[in-house]
Amino acid sequence: MRLGLRLLRTGGRRAWTAVGLVGAAVAVGTMLLAVALGAVHGWDEREARTGWRDGDPRAVGTPAAGVRVDHDVVGGRPVQVVDLVDPRPGAAPPPGFDRMPAPGQVWVSPELAGLIATTPADELAARFPAPPAGVIGEAGLRAPGELVAVAGRAGPVEDAAPVGDFATTTSGTLELYRQLTYVAVTLMVFPVLSLLGASARLTAARRTERLATLRLLGASTAQVTAVAVTETTAVAAAAALVGVAAEWLLAPALAGIPLAGSGWFAGDLRPAPVVVIGIVLGVALLATAAALGGMREVVVGPLGVVRRQRPGAARLVRLLAVVAGVTVFVVANRTRGAAGTITGLVFGIGILALFATVLLLGPLVVRIVGRGLVRSARSPARLLAGRRLLDDPRGAFRPLAGLTLAVFVAGFLAPLTATVGGSTGADDVTLRVRPGGAEPAAVAAAARERLDALGIAAQVSAGRDGALVVPDPGVARDSVRTALAPVAQGTAVVTARESEVVAIGLATDLVTGATVVLVATFLVAATSAGTSAAGRVLDQRRTLRHLVLAGTPVAVLDAARRAETVRPLVVNGAIALVLGLLCASPFATAATALAPTALLVLGGVLVVGVVLVLAASSASRPLLRSVTAGGSRED
Amino acid sequence: MTRPVLRGIGLTHRYGATTVLCDAEIAVHPGEVVAVTGPSGSGKSTLLHCLAGILVPTEGQVWLGADRIEGWSESRRTALRGARLGFVFQSGHLLPELPAVENVALPLMLGGVRRVEAVRRAAEWFAPLGLDGLQERRPGQLSGGQEQRVAIARALVTEPEVVFADEPTGALDTGTGHRLMDLLAALVARTGAGLVVVTHDAEVAARCHRTVALRDGRTASGVRS
Repeated sequence: MRLGLRLLRTGGRRAWTAVGLVGAAVAVGTMLLAVALGAVHGWDEREARTGWRDGDPRAVGTPAAGVRVDHDVVGGRPVQVVDLVDPRPGAAPPPGFDRMPAPGQVWVSPELAGLIATTPADELAARFPAPPAGVIGEAGLRAPGELVAVAGRAGPVEDAAPVGDFATTTSGTLELYRQLTYVAVTLMVFPVLSLLGASARLTAARRTERLATLRLLGASTAQVTAVAVTETTAVAAAAALVGVAAEWLLAPALAGIPLAGSGWFAGDLRPAPVVVIGIVLGVALLATAAALGGMREVVVGPLGVVRRQRPGAARLVRLLAVVAGVTVFVVANRTRGAAGTITGLVFGIGILALFATVLLLGPLVVRIVGRGLVRSARSPARLLAGRRLLDDPRGAFRPLAGLTLAVFVAGFLAPLTATVGGSTGADDVTLRVRPGGAEPAAVAAAARERLDALGIAAQVSAGRDGALVVPDPGVARDSVRTALAPVAQGTAVVTARESEVVAIGLATDLVTGATVVLVATFLVAATSAGTSAAGRVLDQRRTLRHLVLAGTPVAVLDAARRAETVRPLVVNGAIALVLGLLCASPFATAATALAPTALLVLGGVLVVGVVLVLAASSASRPLLRSVTAGGSRED
Repeated sequence: MTRPVLRGIGLTHRYGATTVLCDAEIAVHPGEVVAVTGPSGSGKSTLLHCLAGILVPTEGQVWLGADRIEGWSESRRTALRGARLGFVFQSGHLLPELPAVENVALPLMLGGVRRVEAVRRAAEWFAPLGLDGLQERRPGQLSGGQEQRVAIARALVTEPEVVFADEPTGALDTGTGHRLMDLLAALVARTGAGLVVVTHDAEVAARCHRTVALRDGRTASGVRS
């Protein structure tokens, strides 16, 4: 083991380049894994901080208080307004409060306190029954910039739900977000794992040569294996630490991505220490397993003779597995409705089955494309590309697996974003005053009187359940809201569109989430393509150098590399796209899949992704030029 | 005496302050087999690289037939190597994915010959090299000697003017190595190409027509065997 580390340390520039490639790929993969698990941690933390006002509060035992949640707006930003009705004396206050707000008291978040201090009173402060009695601490906020007011009130208050314990886990909107995050994690985990596995097998040839020397010196197979595995495991573990550290540093930037109405505390997006240790150990173990798998591909005999085994062919029997994968998806999807609380899990199994299908089918497609290329090849570049694909379809598919899975994810998410991303079309002009229980005509009269008294110009009429107010041009909407607060009796004065803040937020959040997942999967794909292409150049550097010495233009080798990437990618991408759309079919109709938004999202994502991956793959060109330069015996 | 097919005149090459080749002279005639010998670090490989247009010498001239090539551009020299020179390296350096016959056909295809024709012409080299029946084998399925003979076929298939062999028997046992050298010399004699063999092995050098010995970058002698 010590020898393995020593060989790693003293391996020279080329060895370090190879180590750098493996390390970069593992670090990126680990970072994304940590981001995904950080998101899950974020929901847990948010639930602990604000679950009592974000979920569906349910009383367990004696209620601590009644809770009614409303959404107001100031300066175009949503403000959560929570009524805490008849708090039970002696009950523990909510997280972030040092005491229970008494009826008539208002507690606000630091950001809202700042706004109240800097905004004219008739646009904001006058909406509340009293000046802020306290500021909510970090432990009671979703994010540093959250706007929230918690007002203690004496009951009864219509629609107030009893809360048993402010620290009690609740389900509701947060749970929905958590389930969606699990789906996103599932979508990302497979490409990330495939990247980690592929990177651990990178530069196998370099290792093999050194192992052959050790074998010649009398090392046993076990010793040789230990040396190989030590190197990969050490590099993977170090790179995993770098990846986790990168996620730690990236957390403040990620915290700016708003989900469920607000951003995050950076600390909440960093996975717990136990999870971090688990990630690093898991990645190191995975790398070890992949390295052991890679060693099986070469046999190092006792005389140090390295015989390249014929790589495993991609057999047609894989088609059976494909049929099985699609069947599992169909069955999982059919039973989804009856699965109750484990709906997400059952559907997740279906998605995983299709993921596995894509991965199983890939090498078979590569083999078929390779055969076609060999049959029709007229140029050396296409012959080389075809032979390489045919010779090792599984190895050739490895760098493409990331993008294929990314295309699958794009096919799955694009129609969904079109389904949920559409505008609700709700009115965003008329403010509604709905105190509840009052006659609409009376509410309208009170509103008109109040506005006239304050000299605010607006058209007021009676609606179905209250007054409808359209401010005249030039009148600040926030002034109208604030002026009408006494009439609204604690309910928010907002437009129909503003009142749908949760529903609209969910739709926007799904698009945001889908974009984050797509960016992440394409990042994985590009890293995978780039490092694999570079690893292949390093592995074959001697042969490539001698070909160039013997007069083969580097351009021919480059064209072969391009052909062996692009052709199978196009075919595999098309298949993955179809399977991705199949996966989305339970949620989106064919019409939404073909809607302009969906096609635009899908097309844009595919073009950007493919260009990114091809660019990453082309990044190995300077390396190709570097290794093919120099004499025949240099190394 | 025929005109030399390859000439190096006053070849000097420096890497920074280190002179690895100093005023070296060499001439190779059609059908002639010339051994370049010398201890490690004497400049053998540098001389071969300068003669083959892989390196541009710091000083001196390289003539291939009537063409003076050391001033040519990199791409022109690469094309020249593909079309007019052949190479045999210490170990075959065949492309592992290609069957033997396609490895041999590759230089022809690079030269613009159609694939069917290139494979047909490549296959013709298998019988004279004792490789009959091995056309469809992959390099991994061949012995070291067989692999090296395929490499010889690949070097000769374009009917080059000069073949460079860098330690061609270095990875083979003595018997196989000597048989291979004899075969290479016979084939070169048949095609009329010149053959430059860089070797450490005195017995290999003894099988050549002439030896150019290098010591500290200088050509010391030219002995007709």
